[in-house]
Order: sequence, then C-alpha cells, then structure tokens
Amino acid sequence: MLLTRKSDSARVAGPRLARAIGSRIATMDRRAFLKRSGLVAGAGAFASQLPYGTMGKAEAADESSSVKAEVHRTVCTHCSVGCAIDAVVENGVWTRQEPVFDSPINLGAHCAKGASIREHGHGEHRLKTPMKLVNGKWQKISWETAINELGDKLLAIRKESGPDAVFWIGSSKHSNEQSYLLRKFVSFFGTNNMDHQARICHSTTVSGVANTWGYGAMTNSYNDMQNTKCALYIGSNAAEAHPVSVMHMLHAKETGAKMIVADPRFTRTAAKADYYVRFRSGTDVAFLFGVLWHIFKNNWQDDKYIHDRVYGMDKVKEDVMAKWTPDKVEEVTGVPEAQIFKIAEMMAKNRPSTLVWCMGQTQHSIGNAFVRASCIVQLALGNIGVSGGGANIFRGHDNVQGATDIGPNPDSLPGYYGVSTGAWKHFAAVWGVDYDWMLKQFASQAMMEKSGMTVSRWIDGVLEKNELIDQDSNLRACVYWGHAPNSQSRGKEMVEAMKKLDVLAVIDPYPSATAAMGAMVRKDNMYLLPACTQLETSGSVTASNRSLQWRERVIRPLFESQTDQAIMYALAKKFGFGPEFIKNYELWKPDGDAKFEEPTPESVLKEINRATWTIGYTGQSPERLKLHMKNMQTFDVKTLRAKGGPCDGDYFGLPWPCYGTPEIKHPGSPNLYMTSRKMMDGGGCFRANFGVERDGVTLLAEDGSYPKDSEITTGYPEFDHVLMKKIGWWDELTDAEKKAAEGKNWKTDLLGGIQRVTMKHNVHFWGNAKARAVVWNFPDGIPQHREPIYSPRPDLVAKYPTHDDKKAFWRLPTLFKSVQQANVENKIAEKFPLILTSGRLVEYEGGGDETRSNRWLAELQQEGFVEINPADANDRGVRNGEYVWVKTATGAQLKAKAQVTDRVGRGTTFMPFHFAGWWMGKDMLEFYPEGAAPIIRGEAVNTATTYGYDSVTMMQETKTTLCQVEKFTA
Amino acid sequence: MRACTLSLLAAAAALALAGCGERPQVINYKQGKYQGKPDTPAYANAPFNGNRQQYENTINTRTQSQNEYVRLRD
Amino acid sequence: MARMKFLCDAERCIECNSCVTACKQEHEIPWGVNRRRVVTLNDGVPGERSISVACMHCSDAPCMAVCPVDCFYKTDDGVVLHDKDLCIGCGYCFYACPFGAPQFPQAGAFGVRGKMDKCTFCAGGPEPDRSAAEFQKYGRNRLAEGKLPACAEMCSTKALLGGDGDVIANIYRDRVTHRGKGGEVWGWATAYKLPAQGGTQPGAAPGGAPGGAPGAAPATPPAGGTKS
Repeated sequence: MLLTRKSDSARVAGPRLARAIGSRIATMDRRAFLKRSGLVAGAGAFASQLPYGTMGKAEAADESSSVKAEVHRTVCTHCSVGCAIDAVVENGVWTRQEPVFDSPINLGAHCAKGASIREHGHGEHRLKTPMKLVNGKWQKISWETAINELGDKLLAIRKESGPDAVFWIGSSKHSNEQSYLLRKFVSFFGTNNMDHQARICHSTTVSGVANTWGYGAMTNSYNDMQNTKCALYIGSNAAEAHPVSVMHMLHAKETGAKMIVADPRFTRTAAKADYYVRFRSGTDVAFLFGVLWHIFKNNWQDDKYIHDRVYGMDKVKEDVMAKWTPDKVEEVTGVPEAQIFKIAEMMAKNRPSTLVWCMGQTQHSIGNAFVRASCIVQLALGNIGVSGGGANIFRGHDNVQGATDIGPNPDSLPGYYGVSTGAWKHFAAVWGVDYDWMLKQFASQAMMEKSGMTVSRWIDGVLEKNELIDQDSNLRACVYWGHAPNSQSRGKEMVEAMKKLDVLAVIDPYPSATAAMGAMVRKDNMYLLPACTQLETSGSVTASNRSLQWRERVIRPLFESQTDQAIMYALAKKFGFGPEFIKNYELWKPDGDAKFEEPTPESVLKEINRATWTIGYTGQSPERLKLHMKNMQTFDVKTLRAKGGPCDGDYFGLPWPCYGTPEIKHPGSPNLYMTSRKMMDGGGCFRANFGVERDGVTLLAEDGSYPKDSEITTGYPEFDHVLMKKIGWWDELTDAEKKAAEGKNWKTDLLGGIQRVTMKHNVHFWGNAKARAVVWNFPDGIPQHREPIYSPRPDLVAKYPTHDDKKAFWRLPTLFKSVQQANVENKIAEKFPLILTSGRLVEYEGGGDETRSNRWLAELQQEGFVEINPADANDRGVRNGEYVWVKTATGAQLKAKAQVTDRVGRGTTFMPFHFAGWWMGKDMLEFYPEGAAPIIRGEAVNTATTYGYDSVTMMQETKTTLCQVEKFTA
Repeated sequence: MRACTLSLLAAAAALALAGCGERPQVINYKQGKYQGKPDTPAYANAPFNGNRQQYENTINTRTQSQNEYVRLRD
Repeated sequence: MARMKFLCDAERCIECNSCVTACKQEHEIPWGVNRRRVVTLNDGVPGERSISVACMHCSDAPCMAVCPVDCFYKTDDGVVLHDKDLCIGCGYCFYACPFGAPQFPQAGAFGVRGKMDKCTFCAGGPEPDRSAAEFQKYGRNRLAEGKLPACAEMCSTKALLGGDGDVIANIYRDRVTHRGKGGEVWGWATAYKLPAQGGTQPGAAPGGAPGGAPGAAPATPPAGGTKS
C-alpha cells in the first residue's frame, strides 16, 4: 500500500481501502450510505421494509420518453354520484388518473375513494385465482376445475331439490349489461331466488315511491339541487356517503338556499346545515307528519296542486291533524314544537324545496311508510315535478340504480315488468327464446310467477323449517356474486346458515368477508372465483339521477380474474343453456385466448334498448352514450342540457325515461313528472297504474293538468292498442309498427310505435293520473308510526305496536309483533338500553373489503369504533380510545374502540358498517386466502344486529336496534 | 520484524486514512445558501420550452377548473 | 404571476379526505407519510369546521432558515422544495414548521427518522423534470405539465384551492361575496376585537363559530338562522 500518493490518491485509495478492510458494503461514504437508506423513495434496500408499496415503481419510465400513453374515460365504481375519471395507461399499466373537469356531474371533484381509485390497478389484495376450500384451507384451482366442480354441484342440487334450492346474490356493482345478464342467467337456471344490494338499501324507497306516483327513483338530480331554495336532509349523511353531491348543495347554499339536517347524529352533513335537529332513530313518520301538521295548520299547502294532481290528501290531513299534534310528536321523536315548526316554515316559505333521504329513512321495519310520508310532505307542498323540488333519493352503490331497474330482482324481470305470465312472454320474445322452454326450466309456473326470497333473508331460507317456507326445498346452495355478507343483519345466524349449506360460492374481485366467515365454519365445498372490477371491462352504469354513463375499459382483467359476463357465459354453457343465453349478442375475446369468450357490452345494451319500454331504457344506445362521454363540456351544469355541439338538446346521460327508439332522439328526463315541459323535452306527469277511480273518486288528473302542449288536456288511463284506435292515432303507425303493436300496450309494443306516435301529440302514454297520498295495497294506507321491533320505549310500543306476523312473505314466515312483544316481556330495553345505529364513513364503501384493501384509504380509518355519548360513557366507566364490548340481544358481542363524542345524543350509539374480518374479538386473518385479506379488519356491526324487516319489501331494520356497551375484558 | 512493523503502520495508516475515503460533501460551502442540485423552472422543458408567459397562462386558466362558478351562472 | 398558494375554504370542507388520498395516489406515498392532512375543529358539535393542511410554501420559510445543510430552495413560483440527497433527516425543519408539513417515513435506516418528505405543490424536486428519478424521490411534477396540485384539483366540494395566489384569492372572494360569510373563521374576532354582544361574530352558524363557545353540545342545538 502506497502512502505517498498525490491528491487524487484519496479517491483511488477509497475503494481500495474498502476492499482491503474487507467491507462488503458498496461504499463507506457517509452521504452515499444515507442515499441508500432511509430514502422515502424505497428504491433501495429498505424497500422491502415498507410493506405498503413505495414511491416510484421500478417500471415507471421517464415521462418525457416515448412511451405512448392512452387515456380511457371511466366512472368511479364506488357511489351513485358517478364521478368521471380519465385513466392514463402506459404499456397496459394504469399509471395515472386525472380529474375530468368537463363532467357536468362532478366537474372534476372526487372524494377520498374516487381520488384513490387507481389502486384498483395494483390490486395487491385481490382474489387472484380461483380457489377451493379443502379441509379448511384455501387451495388454488384452475378455472376449468372451478367451473366444472361448482357447475356439477349446482346441477346436482338442481336435479335433486329443484332450481329454487340455489340462491343467487347478484350485485349493484355490476354494470347495466352484467346485471341484466344475471337476471337472465338465473331465470334460465330456473328460479327467482336472486337479489342484490338494493334490497338492503332503497327497496323501501322504490316500492313506496312507485306506489305513490309512478316509478321509485330520484325524481330530480344532484345538479338540480342548484335550483332549490331549501333542502331537508332526513336520514342522509351526504357529506360522507355522497361527498361530491355536497358541492352542488354548498353552491346552492352560497347562492341563497337553506339547508336543514334532521338526524339522530350530528353528522358532518349537519355541520354544514343552517339548521340541525336531532330526533330519535325510527320515528320518521311522527317527525314528518309533525312537519305536515304545521303545514296544514298554517295553510301552507299548495291547494291547486293537490286538487289537480293528488288523490286522498284530505284523508291524510284528517289523520295527521288528529294524530300528530306537537305534544304527540315530541313524545315520540323527542323534538319540541318550536323546532318542528321552524322546519315546516323553512320548507314552506322557501319553495321549491327538496327533500333528501337515504338509509336513515329506508332501513326500518316501516321504511315503506317513512318514504311515503316524505312523498306526502312534498306533494302537500307542491314540490314534485318542479325543478329545485322533488324527492331526491341518493342511491348507494355505483350501479344500484341500474341493477334495480334491469337487474337480478326476485320480484321482477328487467324494467319492473314483474313476473306475471305477460312479463315472461314479453321477455321470451326479447330474448329470442321459447316461452315454453323457459317455463320448463322452472319448477312450475307457480314458482315462475312467485317472487323469490330476498338477500336479507336467505339465511332463513336455509335455517327455517321446511314446512314453513313457501317453496319445496330449503336453500342448499348460495352464490355471493359481487355482494358482501357483512352488510346484512343477523351475522351470528348467517354463519350457521353458511355452515349448513351444501355449497357456498363467492364470485368477486375480493374474497370478501364471505370467504373468511365460510372458512371459519366450513371445511369444504366452498369456491372463490375471481371476477374483475368495472375498471377492467366496459359497459354502462346508471347514476342516482338516472343518467347513464359509458365506461371504457382501463386495463385488462388482472391476475386470473375474468369479467362477470365471461363467467356467466361459461356457467351458462355448463348448465346447458349457452346458446340461449347469448342469443342476440355479438361475442368477443378482448384478450385473446388468455380469457374466456364473452358477449360485447354494446350488443347487450342494444337488447336492453329493445326490451325496456316501461322506464325508457330504450333511447340510450351505446352510440349516444359514448358521444355524451366524449362531449361532456357541452352540457350545462344546472340544467344538464347540451347547448350546441354533437349532443345538442340531449340531457346528460339521457336520464331515464328516455322514451322511444334511439332514432327518435328523446333527450332524456332529468326531472320526473314535470308538466311544465313537453314530452319530447323530458316532461311528464304521474302514472296511471292503479285504476281509473276508487270509491267513486277519480284517480285521473284533473282537467288542465297535463304535460305541456299535450293534445289531451284531461286525465286519462294508460295507452294500449285499443285506446290508440279509439282516439284515431292508430293509422299514424307504420305497417311494421302496427304489426308489433297489435294486441299490445305501451310497455309490450316491441317497436315502440305507440310511444312514438303519442309523443308526437305531446301525450304521455302511461296515462295522466293523480299521485296517491293514500294507498290500498300497503299494510298501512296512510303511513302510521310503529315502534321499531327493538324499541327503547316499551311504553310507546303499547301505543304504537308494529305489524302482525306474516306467514308467507317473500316465501318465508316473517315475524313482527311476536318479536316486539317478546322484547317487551323480556325487558330487552332495560338490559340493552342504548340505541345502536349504523352508517357510513367517507373512506369506505359497502361491506368494505374492497376499500379496506386500498392502502391509501385504509390508512385513514384503521380501527373499527363505536361512537358513544360522554354521559353514557361515564355511566359505564368507558374512556375515549378504550376497547369496549358492544352487546346485543342476539348474544353476539363486538369488540370496538370507544369514540366518546357528542356527535351522538345520549342514549344512542353508532358503528360504521364497513368493517369485517374480526369475529367477536378474534381476528379472522387466518381464514382469508393467503395475500388476499384486507389491510384493515374490524368487527362487523351486523354480526350483532337483530331481527326486523320491512312490512312490504323485507328491508332489514339496521338503523334501530338496541345494545349495551361494557368495558372490554378478554 | 520489518514486515510486521510495516503492516502495523499500514493498519494504523489505514485507520487514520479512513476519513479520506469520504468524498467531500460540498466543494464550496456557503452558509445559508442552497447547497443541493440545481433545479430548472417548471416551464423550462416540454411542453412550455422556456415560454414563461405560456406557462402562466396555462396554469391560470386551469385554476379556473377549481371554480364551479365559471360553469354555473347565478 | 404571484406566488403559488393553497387556500382551504373551511365553509366547504367536509373532511372527505379526497385531498389526502389524491396526494398519496399521485405520488405513490408510503404508509405513514402524510403530506396533506385534514384537521377538524370542534368535531361532532355545532361549529365543526375542517381544513386541509399541507405545506404553506411560506415566503420566509422557517424550514429553509433552520436547515443545517441548507437543502431547501424556493422556485420562481414561490414553491418551497428541498434536495433529498442533501437531507440528513435531523428533523429540525419539523421543529420549525408551524404546520407540521415535514414528514418522515416509518421505516428506514434511522428508525423513525429518514429523509424528510413534504408537500411539493406537485412541483417535483431537483431532478430533471418529469424523470423517473424525480418521481421516485419527490413524486409527480404536475406544474411542469401545466397542471395544478392533485389535491386541489380533486377536492370534492372545491374547498381546497391551489394555484397562483391572486387567482385563487379572486375565486375565494367571489364565494364569500355570494354567501356573505366565510372570512370570520380565520380569526376576525382576534383581528377586529369585536364587542361581546351576544358573543357572536357576524354571520355565525347556530351554536357559534369557532371562537364562540362550543362546550358540550346541547341535546338539540338552539334554533338560529344564518343569513337574514
């Protein structure tokens, strides 16, 4: 070693010294050492210590390099607002997402979930391959094995016990095409035992609202709230469930609108309200009719509107004035007169006013009554069919509206046609199959025309005594296809049902809590099939405001996942009805032989266009929708109408009803029931669906109330070929149209001639009737308050008891009074004195396994918690941040962190329902397939929720049950 | 013996010169002034190529996308 | 052009955390590092306000002033950036910053410490613009593309504004003019020392704005209007 080298020797000696000393570290240099370690970028040796991804993936190229970037426009897959996203893809990898400022719906805005949706392109915690439970452990299998084994097992069950022994739980996260195909698929399998998330979301809304005036959807839109003068949010936490909708509301507030929030919790939405009122969960009828009492008392109702367009308001008034005086309202709801009066005054004096509701109103044993009460208030104020007014129902999942409209509903074929013989014949014609062949697929015609079971009760289909269920066999198999289990109540009994099943299958991008719950209690006969997300396929999606948007495919299905339509076709072939299933469609293989063949979404949508005349899914052709997505900036944000440009005159997304064939270019209907607009301008009136008169009183609209420029200026019933001939418009149909319309009505005329010609005369073919404030096909003709099944007030149970038990309701015996009475006798309200309610967080969506697998979201909510009022916490010696047991009358107990806060009033507790993966204090990580468990796991509140169902739709009563909270002890 | 001393000296020298293995941190350290790598302004490269005015115009126009009043008349 | 600034309109912020995840997504930021956070005051009671906070890109940045290796610099646009190659992870900037902008990774050779990471106003850092090296160390350089920070562009209610200070000031002023309030959350009571008549500031929300007495929430808040 030379010690006498010149100045450059230091440089040379360095590496040599290092070698001489025998160090294996690449350099001894302190700065270089620092460069390699602790660097946030993680490109160095310590990247492996950062478990949740690092900054700068190795494959990211220099942006200025010549990698060609493609941009695909899609729509967020989380909630029903429908925020557009421009996804940038390089070399098949989804590298960036950009906001779409042009979108008239979200103007580029996102919530936490939309801003992080690119994580779907990583999908580290996805279900990557088909799996099978073997002796309690998950094993990878091939697709062929999966389709064959699962298919064989289901076929065997079908053979032994009939097709009704299988329950298919479909998805509100499927695109329109996929959910329509699923309805068809399960129909060909031979049963109506299918359902999806709408059941536990807005089923009560759809039914209650449809039975009031037409169809049960949001009547106006998020954008239209810009035009309101006062908005009442009751049972809606839009700031967390529909954040971007709040942008429209806050803008409206800035320009003069008032905002009222009524909720048992002081939610983040309430923090933005001009006026907030706290009331007891489950007392909405009393609350709303308390408001209506003041409206009538002060003569604020719109008499002309009621006279022209509403039936039965006088009977409602009689009932309300007698029953809902301020003292009774206060007794039931806890709200003093002054506050109720103020709400009534604000809504009445600032019209048009709108009413917004979500799960807070729907998830109750009398949810159908709550929503009808909301409708009645709006009818009394004359707010329906008015821009700025309306019943603004915010739907949940991204395509729950579409799935409700045309998807796997147990009580209806696509388009609310129902399951009568006529409906089946209509669809036999549309699907190009023989009606008799379809009939043979079913156990019998009776079963074909009987509504199936619901997702909220499938467990009873398994566990209930066979002689009490309204079908031959109990359920022996269940397929969870894009649906989580922890959003349904009675989780403790659900695992019993999962244990008892012969076969349990999950078809989902994530294993979901079903995999863990199933593996916890089963050893075998359970299958997981990886479907891909909506970002890996194309198709249309219907937002809450009924606008349809077209999603382009961003990336190909990750790992070994397949699209849902490919899986359906593969199973259809296995079940022997492959050719029938794809009868009218084009087939393609967008990824060559790497993935299964599937029908193109465009060809499926075209069939939907030919089929769905009821709600006007007929005009939204793929071409028109794609044109809208490319020209978003031409649409006005307040009116949603395109001003000039290629879509001139259309409303964005052609919100249904978009009547007639695509050729006649109906612009869509952004606000429903507007008599101030012409039919071809999106106008309408209330539907004539319940007859022409009742008890001698007409149900048709009064003279002078009709869509603008209608040639018929009186009320009239729905149109069919007879009426067309009688009026003398029959000869305006073309010969082909006449042939199709002969013997048909406006819903079953497959070429749409009746619709086209009546609209030429500015007449609405579904009739012109009054909305019904009183109905005769519901348990309560006028909404009545009935205490929840698990009520904290036994004294009020005596005054306002619930319904009588039902014997065969959606094929199952359903208890009301007996459970409520038993609760009173067993003093449940004393043992479990706190109301337990559940709801949403902005960071997570639905059952939560998908969003809790997104590391950017999961970091923001790392623990399941229960909100408890400080007084209640002190009564129990519970401190903020401590673990507690939340116990309910089911015997289940949940381990959650106590969040002591004034957000909930004394006597109420709240848990978010998005968590799963813990079972009564135990982590279920071991039951998930390796590498596919969500990052964050917690107790599912629904493990402990109780029996209670809506008297019309079998909605679960998750918003009001009872619990006790105790300090946690192991 | 000489070899032993030499190797001892070498070892000592090795230890003493261990500091020489360090590359100089900064050539000319000026306290209070930024000492890191130079950075170019945002408009230096594509797509602006040095055109500061175009860059500012683009940015200011795009900022209006955060203002929904632009698309919503009162 | 004035300097780049952020402004979070607390009347609109609903704590949706879109800004937080937009930033994490755009720059692939690891778990434990949060360049942007939403802070909520009076959580759960009337008067609840939220505001999104990241680096304020101060004119006279304390972080820059105290850094022992002088790794900070300011661009023409007023964005405060730093050179991670120089950073020694001492954390002094973290002490000096009143907003908690400097972040440190959870894992790394120094245990809790490591290279400081913070909001760059989506302007990258001292590596060639839009290069892989820049993305690895500092994240995306949106300014060099003519775009604005991802957090501001994706805010759900357009509460968070980011861009040239003059431009966003105009946008904010427009809103305040329309709604008649908004500025008072920034401390008018302190600035203007208003008399305690009823203890409310102009245009306060029911239950009092911050500065009013939130205390324990009443079981039902008192009736109160905002604008007359």
